[in-house]
Amino acid sequence: MLKEWEKEYSQLNKLKHSYKSNSGIKIKPLYTPSDTNEVEYDNDLGFPGKPPFVRGVYPTMYHGRPWTMRQLAGFGPPEETNKRYKFLLKEGATGINGVFDYPTLRGYDSTDPIARADVGRGGVAIESLEDMNRLFDGIPIDEISVSLVTCQPIGNISILGMYFAMAEKRGLDLNALAGTSQNDFLMETAISLGFEELPPSAAFRLSCDAIEFCAKCAKRWNPINIDAYAYRETRLSAIQEVAIGLSHAMACVEEMKRRGLDVDDFAPRISLFFSAHSDFFEEIAKYRAARKIWSKIMRERFQAREERSCRLRFNVQTAGSTLTAQQPLNNITRSAYQALAAVLGGVQSLHINGYDEAICSPTEQAALTALRSQQILLHETNVVNTIDPLGGSYFVESLTLELEKKIKAYMEMIEGMGGIVKAVETGWLHSEISDCAFKYQKAVESGEIKVVGLNCFAVDEEVQPEIFVDPETFSIQEKRLEKLRKERDEGEVRTALNDIKMAAENGENLMPYTINSAKVKATIGEVSKTLREVFGVWSPSFI
Amino acid sequence: MARKIRVLISRLGLDAHWIGSTVIAKTLSNAGMEVIYGGSMIPEEIARTAQQENVDVIGLSTLSGNHQALGPEVVKELESLGIKDDVLVLMGGTIPVRDVPVLKESGILEVFGTGTNTTEVVSFIESQFK
Repeated sequence: MLKEWEKEYSQLNKLKHSYKSNSGIKIKPLYTPSDTNEVEYDNDLGFPGKPPFVRGVYPTMYHGRPWTMRQLAGFGPPEETNKRYKFLLKEGATGINGVFDYPTLRGYDSTDPIARADVGRGGVAIESLEDMNRLFDGIPIDEISVSLVTCQPIGNISILGMYFAMAEKRGLDLNALAGTSQNDFLMETAISLGFEELPPSAAFRLSCDAIEFCAKCAKRWNPINIDAYAYRETRLSAIQEVAIGLSHAMACVEEMKRRGLDVDDFAPRISLFFSAHSDFFEEIAKYRAARKIWSKIMRERFQAREERSCRLRFNVQTAGSTLTAQQPLNNITRSAYQALAAVLGGVQSLHINGYDEAICSPTEQAALTALRSQQILLHETNVVNTIDPLGGSYFVESLTLELEKKIKAYMEMIEGMGGIVKAVETGWLHSEISDCAFKYQKAVESGEIKVVGLNCFAVDEEVQPEIFVDPETFSIQEKRLEKLRKERDEGEVRTALNDIKMAAENGENLMPYTINSAKVKATIGEVSKTLREVFGVWSPSFI
Repeated sequence: MARKIRVLISRLGLDAHWIGSTVIAKTLSNAGMEVIYGGSMIPEEIARTAQQENVDVIGLSTLSGNHQALGPEVVKELESLGIKDDVLVLMGGTIPVRDVPVLKESGILEVFGTGTNTTEVVSFIESQFK
């Protein structure tokens, strides 16, 4: 029967295309039971909430609790972002997702000369504990789960320090806080760059300080949220996204073990952040493959005893790099398909991009429309009626296995180089990214990759959407910093910064020191400058 | 034989995105131009480097929204070094269409926003030197 169909297909197939997934995997015109002969249900799929977690990390998945609707927000001075947080929560968001401006992320105060032009852009400006208090004014951080998109470890060690200092001042036990901080050393040294990067090994060490601290003192907090989303945004493939992400996760586990921690004490809180990109089925298969690979690594390689250590939880952002400035309303459609893939792939927490993502920070209308997209997905489509509805699909299971093979091969290559920190130090990752980005650009320009509205179905007259205007931030933050410096105890600040310097030099965990420096109102710029003086700065000179 | 067009590519301010700027750098280099990749630079450094390297074109890359604050600054710095008329200043990145007229008034010759075809950039630069 199959042969008959193949013959008919061959005769009638006028277009004669060959089909590939986004990452280049050849896709057949039809999948049948013979394609999943090697799939063993118990070993390769299992049940939701049980190793290898392919069908989902929890037994009940969205029946127990829907994915968290966590829309990103961040711009201007802290009180402006506080308003957007409250707006989103009022409209039905179920978690906070905060982004910080470029100066804050890289550890500069707003008044630093190189920071001035970027103050309040791309995120909220935070200088000190006082700003953190303004940012979360009137928000019950003991009841809502808060994700802090701290990107680089140099910013994270201060931002998380301020967040925990704020919690302690509110009389909260850090172990009661639910939330996440990104804290990804690749964001510091490879994916995004500035004037001064910490050396990769120093950034990695800072990142691990936060993981270690939280394993002991903030047990519900996810101290790392490996930003494989950003790796993917550079034009790397789904295979590279997962492989680099999980290689990074492995390096964290190895370091924590080296520091003497028991794997089950920290592994359950390692979290991943993935993209939801354009190739619908590849994305779904990608998430399933990632869960399977991680489950087996944790059990077999790191001898985790508890199942929760083997469970890969992840949040998703729909892929910003697939969105266009041309005919921006089309981005609502793109993001909706991508969000659907994330949900069918078993995501824990989701941000859908605003339709103006390729142009500016999201306007209120764009942010609301994206949130509504999530609510429509949950309440109208019935895709959550059953868990892992695509389980058993000849195509999806076959693609999951294929991706698993390719991801593992890429991970082995990174291991062969000496691991992820080495891969960054040597410039290998920068080259890989540059090459992929260049090839992608050429493929779009040649029309090989179709982008609706850009290289096909373009219009002559574009209708410009409302543009978000970054609110005036510099003058507000400048006055605040002046006042802060007059009112705080300079002696306490000097002591706190000196303690940080000594701890950094002596290889101590820096988190208790940055919580302390936050309490005495040291600024993020002051703490980061101290760290740069100890660790030195590094530039990838091979670009 | 015609002298190669010399281009300085630099990123503006604390904008953390670097990849687009390397794509354009490679494209211009493949097209036969001499490309100096400056990385993240402040306006004063950009102008000084442009003078030292005797460049014909400066390509500024930014995706953070700092284009209005820093683009015109670069032109001012070139002016203070007395080389404003000797160097063409171009800009690329996430720049809303409505911001382009003001940038051009400040002395930026052309802006290549989101979705630009890089061959357009090559043609534009080459056409300036015919």
